[in-house]
Amino acid sequence: MGANISQLERDIGSEQFPSNEHYFGLVNFGNTCYSNSVLQALYFCKPFRDKVLEYKAKNKRTKETLLTCLADLFHSIATQKKKVGSIAPKKFIARLRKEKEEFDNYMQQDAHEFLNFLINRISEIILAERHQNSTNYIKSKTSGENGTIHTPPEPTWVHEIFQGIMTSETRCLNCETVSSKDEDFFDLQVDIEQNTSISHCLKCFSNTETLCSDNKFKCDNCSSYQEAQKRVRVKKLPMILALHLKRFKYMEQYNRHIKVSHRVVFPLELRLFNTSDDAVNPDRLYDLIAVVIHCGSGPNRGHYISIVKSHGFWLLFDDDQVDKIDASTIEDFYGLTSDTQKSSETGYILFYQSRESL
Amino acid sequence: MSNLKPGGQSGRKKVQVSMVICEAEERRHRSGVNALQVDPVLDRLYSAGRDSIVRVYEHERYLQSMEHHTDWVNDIVLCCGGRNLISASSDTTVKVWNAHKGFCMSTLRTHKDYVKALAYAKDREQVASAGLDKSIYLWDVNTLTALTASNNTVTTSSLSGNKESIYSLAMNPPGTIIVCGSTERALRLWDPRTCAKVCKLKGHTDNVKALVVSRDGSHCISGSSDGTIRVWNLGIQRCIQTIRVHTDSVWALLATENFQYVISGGRDKKVIMTELKNQDNSVVVCVEDAPVIKMCFTADNQAVWVSTSESHIRCWKLPTERHFRGELSMPQNPISTIQGGAAIKQAVVLNDKRHIITKDSDNNVAIFDVLKARKIEDLGIVNFQEEIKNRFKMVYVPNWFNVDLKTGMLTIHLGQDEVDCFAAWVSARDAGLKDCPEPDQKVNYGKLLLQALLEHWRMDTDAETKPYFSVPRHIPLIFSEVGGRTLYRVTVGDTGGDTETALLNETVPSWVTTNIEDNCSGKFIKVQFFLQPHSSIPSHLLKQDRLKKPDRLVANDFIQCRKVAEHVVEKLLGEGTAGSPDVTLSSNGTTVDQIELTCNDQVLDPAMDLRTVKHFIWKSSADLTLCYKLLNSK
Repeated sequence: MGANISQLERDIGSEQFPSNEHYFGLVNFGNTCYSNSVLQALYFCKPFRDKVLEYKAKNKRTKETLLTCLADLFHSIATQKKKVGSIAPKKFIARLRKEKEEFDNYMQQDAHEFLNFLINRISEIILAERHQNSTNYIKSKTSGENGTIHTPPEPTWVHEIFQGIMTSETRCLNCETVSSKDEDFFDLQVDIEQNTSISHCLKCFSNTETLCSDNKFKCDNCSSYQEAQKRVRVKKLPMILALHLKRFKYMEQYNRHIKVSHRVVFPLELRLFNTSDDAVNPDRLYDLIAVVIHCGSGPNRGHYISIVKSHGFWLLFDDDQVDKIDASTIEDFYGLTSDTQKSSETGYILFYQSRESL
Repeated sequence: MSNLKPGGQSGRKKVQVSMVICEAEERRHRSGVNALQVDPVLDRLYSAGRDSIVRVYEHERYLQSMEHHTDWVNDIVLCCGGRNLISASSDTTVKVWNAHKGFCMSTLRTHKDYVKALAYAKDREQVASAGLDKSIYLWDVNTLTALTASNNTVTTSSLSGNKESIYSLAMNPPGTIIVCGSTERALRLWDPRTCAKVCKLKGHTDNVKALVVSRDGSHCISGSSDGTIRVWNLGIQRCIQTIRVHTDSVWALLATENFQYVISGGRDKKVIMTELKNQDNSVVVCVEDAPVIKMCFTADNQAVWVSTSESHIRCWKLPTERHFRGELSMPQNPISTIQGGAAIKQAVVLNDKRHIITKDSDNNVAIFDVLKARKIEDLGIVNFQEEIKNRFKMVYVPNWFNVDLKTGMLTIHLGQDEVDCFAAWVSARDAGLKDCPEPDQKVNYGKLLLQALLEHWRMDTDAETKPYFSVPRHIPLIFSEVGGRTLYRVTVGDTGGDTETALLNETVPSWVTTNIEDNCSGKFIKVQFFLQPHSSIPSHLLKQDRLKKPDRLVANDFIQCRKVAEHVVEKLLGEGTAGSPDVTLSSNGTTVDQIELTCNDQVLDPAMDLRTVKHFIWKSSADLTLCYKLLNSK
């Protein structure tokens, strides 16, 4: 292992090795690569890493939560004496297994499910802590008064980083009234098609869907079921755009999920075209910063690794192994052009960061 | 009624039973009017709309209603010189009517989704129907009107090639060309004589909702949700003119006989007459209160009847040459108005699951009694939410029906989706049955209503099962596949007739017949709950180790807390013998009144039933837990 680590330093070159940066692999505790791969991607999500470390600095002695465990882990990586190496995220995994029953075993888990859980849990923790502080604050300030002021919760830094808004517009084909509904998201879950690009899949994501026959729309204005056209578009583009490629499809004939290895190209630069007319920042340009990759043939087998961009070059994190890779290697993770069922290494979660926040 | 073959259908999908709570005579349209036709000979106006009823006016006065559809009527055509009327409905059927006498002659069930549009070739007495199932069928009217109960098969030709939901259809009087408009945003044309495709015309950028074809079949005008009117030369298969006079979707079109003018109406509530040769020459005929859905020329062609998504139908004078030249201004008021009624827009089922509070399009609030199928109170214009709040009672009765407002009237569905029609058991006292010998006897709402609805169907049943409630004889009773097609519609009063009885024998689903005949008491809804002693109860008073493990019990959901307290006294405290005749006094002298039951730290009224406790106090789907303690005897 030691030879490999020095190999990484040699590959980067001591001159080029960024100061204040650490490339540490994460030890696998038995099928915990779903967590390791996502944690690495998030660690190299600069805005997220900065906020987690800031949280660590501000909250010295609080009771253990998933967030304090994550903050300790990030802090421990960031303050290593050595530039490269590996670290065991023991406390974090123990806490995760305690917090979510589904993860309390040695089975392979879905990396996207984990990411989703982690981000939601962190925002819950921040909101809960903020609530506690503010009630203490209100108590000390307005002791004796009963009136409480209700204001909508200020977005947390997790929201500021990951949250976007999508709006679904439904137009009744009878009365032609358009009703729209906004929905917050932390990531977009995208259906994929063979031999396409992520831009194409995002376009399909926003294709107009006709609600008809047995799936008609209950129109309030018409008081009845009518045909309708529905379209989902992005209204607020997030700082970090996480795209989940729906590679695990439930197949009725097999009664299980099958991996879809379709080749879907994801460019280094991305612009969204499926934005709504009233979008706040429709022209955001995004840069690819990290990809969680699924290797193998099915959801419950196989392996997760991640590639991240750091200081202009790309690194591949495979549990405790870290390697520098050429940017051209990314093409290997687009998927397979033929539909023959075999093992593949495919991009599963893409992290894009808006250029203005870089 | 011919070609009603409900028996064969009932085997496949679950059949639901519905009733419409309406007046004996619904003289006014309840909601939007989708279709209009004029009979110039008898000076009649036919109108049909969302309340499912076709109405006939003679000399602008209400004459009669033609009721047989069970959903919106979307289009009508008058044919055979006014003798027959054909109607198309969202109930997926096309019906043939004797227009003079006003009865339904036959029902065509070929379409599989809402039938949205009809077209009529007068010279050939041919009618075409089309709708959301993407299909177009051609019908020979003379064959349709000759259908009888025994000879009820019709052959139809269908036009193939269309790929999307059809919203408009037109044919020229000689029947040489037929054109349809759909969400495909293109027009498709066929020759109805050969059913051969003619062409497809692209140009519109949204749904095509209105069409007219010139008599000779050389030109066609289309109105679209893209807001434009397009004129097409069918010879060269090109759009020759695009007219932009509306600020929103165009939903209705008429053309004058010589194709000199087009009259258009739409979502912007306006009716506009435009000269085709000079499209800058247009005059606003009227501005309605609501989006314009349909227009129809009066007998003298000097005015148009206009219908909207509201229930009034108004007649507006058309501009003359002098109006076009600007020498005269258009009148501000209609020539005449056929007053419409109000549609129920909101309905909330009250907690007793028997009364419904409604608010209509005129903001009037009313109370209906589902069991009696009638309105019992008019509250006028009052605060709807406030009334709902005032009528809140802390009782929980399970849902047993669904409410639907598509026709602007209350439609009650039984046996729809997951709602168990027989879930609601209440005591005869709570149901308001005064002459019931045992006020504590449980009655079932679903059963009571079904018995009342089918009261006249099986008259031979013994007097003992005579329903406690009756519903008015005019109430329509509808059997349909859940979420789908109507199988049979009959009014409650007609169910005793010979033909109707025979049809009902085939149609009434077994879940109805078995339950209204049996006393379905085996179907009481059970609730599981735990009984836990309060820590203040001296352990010597408790049997066995009650403090360690709560008692797990199952009871009917309408059992009152008093009964549970009796159980505590009798079974859980001291050595009381099971089946003791005097249940209120156990051997150690504890009485029921000394038992206090709580749930989530809230003291329970002995008269409250378990389902109410579970719903309003326990508020969880987990098994209910009740706590009991002894009050100090004084």
